[in-house]
Parts: sequence; structure tokens; C-alpha cells
Amino acid sequence: MNVVRQLGNGVFSMNGREWSLLVACLVAIVIFSVASPHYATSGNAATVLRNSVELLLIGLGMTLLLAMGGIDVSIGIVMGLAAIAIGRVLGAGGNPLLALIAGPLVGALLGCVTATVVVIGRVPAIVGTLGLLGVYRTAVFVLLGGQWLSGLPSSLTEVLATSVLGVPVPALAITIAYLAVWLALRRTPYGLHLLAIGNSEEKARLSGIPVIKIRFMTFVVSGVLTGIAAMFYVATYRNVEMTIGSTLALDAIAAVILGGTSILGGRCSLIGTVLGVLLLRILQNGLLLIGVPSLWQPVVTGVLIIGVLGFEAVCNRLPLGRFQRARA
Amino acid sequence: MTEPFLVARNIAKRFGALTALANVDLEIRSGEVLALLGDNGAGKSTFIKILAGAHPPSDGELVIEGNPVAFHSPKDAAASGIATIFQELALSENLSIAENVFLGRELKRSILGIPFLKRKEMRQRVDGLLKELDAHISDPEAPVGSLSGGQRQAVAICRALNLNARLVIMDEPTAALAVAETRKVLALTRRLAARGCAVVLISHNISEVFEVADRIVVFRRGRKVAERLAAETHHEEVVSLITGAHPDVRALEKTN
Repeated sequence: MNVVRQLGNGVFSMNGREWSLLVACLVAIVIFSVASPHYATSGNAATVLRNSVELLLIGLGMTLLLAMGGIDVSIGIVMGLAAIAIGRVLGAGGNPLLALIAGPLVGALLGCVTATVVVIGRVPAIVGTLGLLGVYRTAVFVLLGGQWLSGLPSSLTEVLATSVLGVPVPALAITIAYLAVWLALRRTPYGLHLLAIGNSEEKARLSGIPVIKIRFMTFVVSGVLTGIAAMFYVATYRNVEMTIGSTLALDAIAAVILGGTSILGGRCSLIGTVLGVLLLRILQNGLLLIGVPSLWQPVVTGVLIIGVLGFEAVCNRLPLGRFQRARA
Repeated sequence: MTEPFLVARNIAKRFGALTALANVDLEIRSGEVLALLGDNGAGKSTFIKILAGAHPPSDGELVIEGNPVAFHSPKDAAASGIATIFQELALSENLSIAENVFLGRELKRSILGIPFLKRKEMRQRVDGLLKELDAHISDPEAPVGSLSGGQRQAVAICRALNLNARLVIMDEPTAALAVAETRKVLALTRRLAARGCAVVLISHNISEVFEVADRIVVFRRGRKVAERLAAETHHEEVVSLITGAHPDVRALEKTN
């Protein structure tokens, strides 16, 4: 089968950057295991993986956005709004299947809003989504009416906490999302067009690429992935708090950049994003266990972003040539 | 001589009160390299932009193989078989050679409604084109960002050929190239004509033009002031045509 052969070729292939991320994850695990007796337990490993679910899904979308030369700093609050929609459906005693539709649907709608502002309205993505972040944050407060949604029925949890053939549903969802995004990026014209746009929108247009359509679509895809992430969030925590998703955009951008995707667009790594998410969550969890207050987590994330980009900038200036080859 | 691929009749272009181009009559033939020469502001660029569909002419008509055409966008020109290779090549440095050649017109097969790239076929086709052009590029999978200026020109030419272009317009293709690279691109230009393409070449380098062009057209102050077969003129004459020192040009400019 052609598809199977195509799948086998490069889905998880890794370059130097990705191997060093894997090594960094392992080193962090070893250090934390030595530093804390509570670290190296199967329960804690499950916690880290559990905490990575939403960020993995959102990170895949963010990888596409950055590869295209875009960004979405409102993505965490988009997940919050999707979570509220799901919570309302569940709270009203709605069918959990309806809640399953509500997440991706709200995500897609908000993706359309973002795309309208950024792609149709031509507002630079960083500014446009920053504006939307302000609007959405207030929307979360208004919709929640100053109160957490809590004690939600467990009906969604029962759907999403199950296993299919021994594989937990979240792991299954992430695998499917990863393969779908990978195929779209590496095996369809869409991926080429996305990377060409990330390299230069003007050149892409001259090459006859439907730039507006591709950019619009990508914001919607990112929204849908975020809506799916919201489902898993609500299923796990069964509440929606005021500050939901407030550090998610920062985390997602950090993980994607750590993974080797260019902040300037045109180059990306999906496996790098996965490893970037894992490293980030391992660090956050480990630091917590050795007694660093969670207040410090965004500091770690921020320093990582600045460190990686600073390191790349310095390496690019060295006469040795580019730190990362321009392999898209 | 066969019928020309494209005939431009009485082409004029005005930008407000400024006349950039007036009364240009020109024939472009398949299998021939036609060089456009002229000082800055002579109207060469305006003329090729009209051919490329980037500007509509204010007056006159374009006829392709006997049929009048009107271009409203570069896409229209491309549909008529005209490909323009601009100085700043519209290539994506982060994509491979094969991907660039097919960008926007990928070969694909549909599986469950999803359009999958036919990567092997595209690679083979590009491999063939590169060999045919004798471009000395061995790996169509290499990123364009790793190529030299001349090799990038070769990729842009491949792209034009792959779009079945029958008229290729090259805007100063050697302007930024080293000597050896320039030689290669000039050879590519000849091969393009040998393949049956019509080639329009804009250049400032007169000796280069003599090396590849069959015909030379000189623009001056928005007019076509001379047309010569390359074999029947020489370097000094062309220079005097460009600067306006030539008696023919003087006579022409006196009557206007």
C-alpha cells in the first residue's frame, strides 16, 4: 500500500536538534529522579503525560501557524472559551456527544474569527491575536459570571478516559492528530504551500499559490485542534476556572520553537514540537517536585524561549554557517 | 521563417501624463533569442511587464499565433504560454528544487479525497528537465537555498519549461552572477531557444547579448529605435543606437 509506505518514510525521523531535545528530556528525568524521591514513579510519569495532552494538540496547530509565518497568542483563551461551551453543554445535562461536537465547533468558529482579522483584515498576526486575547479574556469573565464552572458531570470523562484496544483515548487522539498534520504538511500540496508562504508570502503569490485560502484554513485547523484540546481539559478536570489557558500560548510557542520550528516561518518540525512539549512539561513537573513554586513556571518557559532564540541568533552569526540547515 | 509566436502592434503605455512607451511594433519568433537593449528608463521593463500581463497596455494590441489577446493579470499571460523570470526569482529557498519547479501546479493523486503529492513522478520529471538543460544539478531534492545564483536561474527556467511556456522572458538573468555562472546561464538561454521556445532577454551587457541573441532591439525614450540581426551589426553600432549618437536615431528623433 502506497499510503503505508509513505507513512513509514520519515514520520518520526529526527535531526540533530531533535536528538538533543530527546537527550535533554532524559537528562532532566535523571536529575529530577536523583533530586526528588517522588519523581521517578509511574504515577508521576502518567501525570506528566496527562499534563501534556492539551499542549501537544495546541502545539501541532501552533507549529503550522509559525511555519506559515503566523502566530496566535490568544490560543490559550480560545481553549478556555471552547471549554466553557463544553462545560455549559455538560452542565445543562446535555448529551456527551453534543459536548464532543461543541469543542471543535467553537474552536473552528474562533479560528474563523482570528483568520478574518489576520488574513482578511491584514492585521499582523501578533497584533491581531493580541487584540483578540484582550477581547476573549473579558469574554471568559463575562461568560463565567465571576464563578468557576465546577462539579461538571462525569459523562464526558467516561467517554474520553476509556481505552480502545488498550490504548488510552487521549494517546489515540494525539497519534491521529499527529499523523494527520504530518501527512498534510509533508505529503500534500497544502504543506508545500504553507512552507512557501512562511518563506515569502509575495513569492508564494507569484508562484500561483492561493495564499489567502491556505492562511485562513490554517487558522481554522489550529482552532479545531484547540477545541479538541478543550474536550480533554474538561474531561480531566471537570471544571473551568477563570484563569483557564492563560499560560498555554506561551507554553505552546516555547515548545514549538524549542522543537526547531522557525519563528520567522518556512521551517518546522512536528517531532520537535512533541519533544519540546515533553521537555517543557518534564521541567515544570520536576521543578514543582523539588520544591520550586509553580509561580516560577512561566519564568522557566520565558527563559527557554529567549535562550533558544538567542542561541540560534548567535550561531547564525558564526562563520561556521547556519545552525540548522534550511531543511523545511 | 515561420509565423511569429507573438506580434506586438503599436503598443503604448501612459502613466498619467507620462508616456512610458509609444508605438512599439515587435515580432517575437519561436526558437529565437531576442535581446532588448536600452538605457534605464528606455521602456524595456514597461514593455516586458505588458507581455507578462503585469500592466495592461494603454494602446495597441498583442497577437499570439494570429489571435489577439488581452491580459488582465500575470495568470492570463501564463495561460497563453508566457513565463517571466524576474530578476528577484520567485523561488522558495526553503523548498527543494523539485518542489519549486512544481509549486502551485503539483502532480497529485487522490486517496480518500485527500490530494497526495506524486513526489516520485515530480522528482523524475525535474531530473529529466535538469538533464535536458545540462544544468549540472544532480539532486532535485536539494533545497534551493543551497544553490548558487546560476543554479537558481536554471531552476527558474525549469519551472518555466514545466509550465509549458512557449515564450520565456528573462529580466537581466546574469546581473548578479559570477563569470562562470554567467556562461552557464547564457548556454541555458541558447538551449531554451533550441528547444523551440521564444526567448526575450533583457540585458545591459552588450557583449553578452552578442553571444546569445539572434536579434537585437534597441529602446530609447519609450520608443523602439532600431532592430538588427545580431549577425549584421556590431558592438559600436549598438552602443551608438542606445546613446542616440547613431544617425538613424538622430533622424528619427528629429522627425518626432
